[in-house]
Amino acid sequence: MDQTTNALRGEGIALSFGGIKVLKGLDVEFRAGEITGLIGPNGAGKTSLFNCLTGAYSPQQGTISYAGDRLNGLPPAARANKGIVRSFQHVALCPDLTVRENVMMGIARYGKAGWLSAFLPLPAGAREREEMARSADKALVDLGLPDVGDKFPAELPPGMQRLVEIARAVVGKPSVLMLDEPAAGLNNSETRDLTTVLRKLASTDLVLVVVEHDMDLVMSICDRIYVLNFGEFVAVGSPEEVRSNPDVIQIYLGSDDDE
Amino acid sequence: MSDQATHMTPDQTVLSRLSGVATSGVTTTVLVAALIFMPFLLGGSWTFTLGLCFANSIGVLAVSLLVRYGGEVSIGHTFFTALGAYSVGVLDVRYGISLWASVPLALLLGVTFGLLFAWPSRNLHGIYLAVTTLALALAVPEMINNFDALTGGYEGLYVSTPFIPGVSMGMQRYYVALVMLVIVCVAVARLRLSRQGMALLLAKTHPSAADAFGTRRVWARISIMGISGGIGALCGATLAFSGSTVSPGGFTFWQAIFLLVGSVVSFYGLSLPRVLIGGAFVTLVPQLLSASGAWIPVFYGLALLGMILLGHYMPRIRKAMAQKSEVA
Ligand SMILES: Nc1ncnc2c1ncn2[C@@H]1O[C@H](COP(=O)(O)OP(=O)(O)OP(=O)(O)O)[C@@H](O)[C@H]1O
Ligand SMILES: [Mg+2]
Repeated sequence: MDQTTNALRGEGIALSFGGIKVLKGLDVEFRAGEITGLIGPNGAGKTSLFNCLTGAYSPQQGTISYAGDRLNGLPPAARANKGIVRSFQHVALCPDLTVRENVMMGIARYGKAGWLSAFLPLPAGAREREEMARSADKALVDLGLPDVGDKFPAELPPGMQRLVEIARAVVGKPSVLMLDEPAAGLNNSETRDLTTVLRKLASTDLVLVVVEHDMDLVMSICDRIYVLNFGEFVAVGSPEEVRSNPDVIQIYLGSDDDE
Repeated sequence: MSDQATHMTPDQTVLSRLSGVATSGVTTTVLVAALIFMPFLLGGSWTFTLGLCFANSIGVLAVSLLVRYGGEVSIGHTFFTALGAYSVGVLDVRYGISLWASVPLALLLGVTFGLLFAWPSRNLHGIYLAVTTLALALAVPEMINNFDALTGGYEGLYVSTPFIPGVSMGMQRYYVALVMLVIVCVAVARLRLSRQGMALLLAKTHPSAADAFGTRRVWARISIMGISGGIGALCGATLAFSGSTVSPGGFTFWQAIFLLVGSVVSFYGLSLPRVLIGGAFVTLVPQLLSASGAWIPVFYGLALLGMILLGHYMPRIRKAMAQKSEVA
């Protein structure tokens, strides 16, 4: 299968806030079947790029397309319905919902049960909820969280909350999955589980993009890496190419090694 | 509680944990059972007042629902209660049609006008939305008087057609209100478990996350206003039947404020015992105020303030105490 037909593409994406240029005309091609890393120092614009691609921000310039369909102007919810899904850098779970229910929100958009079954005990609604709960539980198990479905997010340590956030993004079998710092706050064994999950997820038709500060994780799972600095790409390539790029070493990996 | 939880389905666990106590279902059942027998123990006037409490509880629930699921405050819900009340009043007095038709009509009108109000105000939040709902409330008495051929103007309408033939009217006014309250509370409890209810909660706490998973903010706002408006109208319909008279005096701006206050003193609770506290407040306080001397309103103001502050700080105090005991 041609990896580039089902790619998420951005051409000349430029975004600024009140005169401050956050993204300076970026070209990206996130391909299906690959794990793409997006790295760069704090404030480089990684989350902003995600926000442009998912529709949370409207870039002043540039076009965004997935599998040839232009996405510009589509609101986030419409992009979600096309299977473009993300996780949030700052965990955005609803405190009023249990962990299982939070994950269920990742597939709620497929729900067919109407308003009547929201209020009345109709079998269709009950069946749908059961199915969603089962999918959510399975996603939680895949992420190494088999027993927390009935808890509320606030009862979990931050690392687990982040995994729940990822489970919510994964459960709907997205076609584009963008993870914003999925390993932040995870301990070593959680990170290892996450790595396994991400490897398993990578399939021929999934566009998987990972923003991450954990260099070991990025270097070990990514097929291609984009390095962003001050809203511009300084390098794009395989982990080996990026690791040996002198600019990258200077602005990013260099400072990382000094620490 | 945890070993109790193992005997429950996940959904039951969710509901019981939300209401704080695992026994809340039991409490509600016992309460409803007690209320069923109340008319046999109480005099006619208390039965009548209790019926009004049930009706007002539905209104309090409508306001609390908007807070809990929409994150917004309304000081104009008398607009919806008036819609419902006049649906019942007009159909009864002018056309001799009973609740079978007028309650569904009330619900339909409440939902429709909730949606119609929500669309133009969809981008307003907090105090701006509240002030907009205020405009609704202020318009109500005027509109009632303008349509006096239908509404009876200041005179009002007297609802007297029985709903269940052969049962005394006093009993009907009580039990219809109780049944309506129970039905609405059960429906609202079910909403919590539904896909739509969960989406509303996510949209309230993390609108951008809801957006990213296919729930539009505008959808959330319009939906919750429709639901809250519909329940508000059911409150009005019940008030009309249980209170027997429908007149502009029942739908003043102050009444709208009282509904919000009732919601606050019940801590925005959505369970039957909680909304009943709010409903009792809405029903009894105006009666006591009008009958009492000059100082009593001040005491009520202070008591109200005390309750609100308690509700505001209680969770924090509890949290602080829990942390202390953890440290110890
Ligand atoms: N809504 C906004 N309004 C104003 N400025 C913003 C907004 N969102 C992002 N920015 C600015 O854009 C720049 C890039 O931010 P962004 O969050 O995209 O960086 P990042 O690469 O994700 O950083 P980090 O690694 O810290 O998450 C920052 O200077 C930030 O202040
Ligand atoms: Mg970021």
